[in-house]
Amino acid sequence: MSYSVLNTKKFIDVIKYRWLWLGISFIFLLPGIIAMLWSVKTYPTHAPLLVGIDFTGGTIIQYAVQQEVSTSDIGKIRLDLSKNGIDNPVIQVLKPVTAENDNAIKNLISIKTKFSENGQNETIDKVGNVISSDYQGAELVQVTSVGPVLGKQLFVNSMIAVSLALLAIVIYLTVRFHFEFAVVAFLALLHDVLFTAGVFSLLGIFCGVTVDSLFITAILTVLGYSVNNTIVVFDRVRENLKFYSKKATYNEIVNASVNQTLARSINTSLTTLLTLGSLYFLGGVTTKDFVLVMITGVIAGTYSSIFFANTLIALWHELQEKKQKKAAN
Amino acid sequence: MKNKIIMFWAIVILTIISIVIIRVKPIPLGLDLVGGSRIVLEAQTTDTIAKITQDMMDGLKAALENRVNALGVSETMVQQMGEKRLLIEIPNISDPKLAREFLGETAQLEFKKPILDETNNVRGYEPSGLSGDDLNKAEIGTDPAGRWLISLDFNAKGASKFAALTREFIGKPIAIYFNGSSISEPVVQQEITGGKAQITGEFSLEEAKKIVDLLNAGALPVPAKIIEENTVGPTLGADSLHKSKFAGIAGIIAVMIFMIAWYRVPGFIANIALIIYSLIVFAIFKMVPVTLTLAGIAGFILSIGMAVDANILIFERTKEELKSGRTLFTAINSGFDRAFTSIFDSNMSTIIICVILYYLGSSIVKGFALTLAIGVIISMFTAITVTKNLMHLMFGTGQLKHPGMFGLKESDINEAYTASETQREKAKFGVLD
Repeated sequence: MSYSVLNTKKFIDVIKYRWLWLGISFIFLLPGIIAMLWSVKTYPTHAPLLVGIDFTGGTIIQYAVQQEVSTSDIGKIRLDLSKNGIDNPVIQVLKPVTAENDNAIKNLISIKTKFSENGQNETIDKVGNVISSDYQGAELVQVTSVGPVLGKQLFVNSMIAVSLALLAIVIYLTVRFHFEFAVVAFLALLHDVLFTAGVFSLLGIFCGVTVDSLFITAILTVLGYSVNNTIVVFDRVRENLKFYSKKATYNEIVNASVNQTLARSINTSLTTLLTLGSLYFLGGVTTKDFVLVMITGVIAGTYSSIFFANTLIALWHELQEKKQKKAAN
Repeated sequence: MKNKIIMFWAIVILTIISIVIIRVKPIPLGLDLVGGSRIVLEAQTTDTIAKITQDMMDGLKAALENRVNALGVSETMVQQMGEKRLLIEIPNISDPKLAREFLGETAQLEFKKPILDETNNVRGYEPSGLSGDDLNKAEIGTDPAGRWLISLDFNAKGASKFAALTREFIGKPIAIYFNGSSISEPVVQQEITGGKAQITGEFSLEEAKKIVDLLNAGALPVPAKIIEENTVGPTLGADSLHKSKFAGIAGIIAVMIFMIAWYRVPGFIANIALIIYSLIVFAIFKMVPVTLTLAGIAGFILSIGMAVDANILIFERTKEELKSGRTLFTAINSGFDRAFTSIFDSNMSTIIICVILYYLGSSIVKGFALTLAIGVIISMFTAITVTKNLMHLMFGTGQLKHPGMFGLKESDINEAYTASETQREKAKFGVLD
């Protein structure tokens, strides 16, 4: 047997087990999709995710405290705030994953309330009184507030950004690759975005995690990353098709290409996850959610570029061949 | 070979220049890292102001600059965003509450004249035409009883208006309104011609001081509202900066260990390229200059992951070529050549996203997009040119004698040699089969 690239060891067979790979995608996408549908139906905003003040308008006031804050403490804070005229506050406790020294911030109490045009200082004073009466040494560390009109604008802008990004990528792919590659890369990208959004929809329902404009940024980065991964594999398919299209079937070529690029796909994801992981576990509290979006997206992107996109491209080709045969008959 | 040596020294010089720039120039840090207030104000239309003009915005900007300066903090910034918004940044502010009060207030001082009925009773007040615009300056003072008062010094026009007003209403009250509410309603004793007046009322020191500061800074030509605010305390800022630095360094070290463990000698070369990459990127950040924010740091750290991606692509490809029996020199070259389209296409997609984010995003998002884009572009240079140069200089030509240097096994290479003579010949000419 002569040495051939097509005979490289196959760790993964994307053709034989194609329904398994697509099935796994489906199983992992489903809970997120259900969560998003449920959210659209249940939330007053009718959004598929729990949207934060960036898009709805509102004020978030954060205090750093050295003491531990339990769930019953949160209940007490909520009650005290309502007594002081702060209606329906949403209270969360954020913790950095590690607090390596005594000066580092231990717990952040985050209080979300309405945007008030004039009474901003009054609101902050009221909240401050409640928090500092319960937690000695509490320090006001962050106030973020967005007016409702601006919120709507930010939301519209974000949606325009996402749509433009999708469009630009499809155009770029169509120019550089065949149309069918562009379509499949696009589907892989939707797969990753849907998975990531689904995870955060679930996190919104169960942990109160909200999405803001940084979330959109992270999603767009994931989008770029996902295309990036898919392109590398498709680039290999394109190259192998040039040399072997006479000697091997389309399916064999796709399968070989996936396996040739497998080490790269995994290693790149690993290095990216190493940097993202260090940001998540060692970085500041405020960027944690942002990084988590990207970690989720990178994992989804790696899976889709190995299993999802290639399974689809082979399926697409098979269907077309069948069509051609039928037409010939 | 000569070209390679020239290239090598060019890289060395570029690295040294980068180090010098990094040592010499400070990097501006964003408000989320040093602490401070970032406030967006929007000019509001009223019954009398139907449309916000650029002149009004210029006036508003000037007035707000005065007010921000009155806060006594350095390195403040007032900048117009779009048609009717102003972005104000105040770093290191000790009392954001004051900023919030200061910026939102219109500081409209008005003298109103009484409306009298037939029996000379006061029915109400109407504008007299004398306002804060006619002021020279305001000062805080005390009356003999020790109460706080505000003394006003009118300009020439204001002085004559004030004289006319006091002449007309001797024995009657006039009202002084500040931001739409009456703060004092003194009864005119006699005509006042000197252009000086005093407002006595029940002021606390803070109230009096605020009114004086606002009057001196000038009224806003149009009312403006705070529509967005982000104030970060210095503790949180320092905490974020410290942790991000730590996370960044830990991330780079983890990636480097991985590269050496998996790719051995080429991995080591990629690490050198990565260090050069970080130096050049930081030098560019300082040259532009890019204000470093939390999101910006995240973008930079993410770009490290992407920078090594190019090297991973190249090395995997080189390994494959070596396995198919090529000489070192050809394997390295074709590893680079064949990986290039992948690297280019995938980086282009990231750059497209960055451009969109930069144009449509808020300022936080812009910072992220800019650092990521700079990172991706520089990584194309360091991961390709620098690594290739170092690889060639290190390995030279000839067959690979120690496959372990590439993390390969002897058996991987041997397999290639068991292929027929013609296969080996073909491989040399670039046909992979």
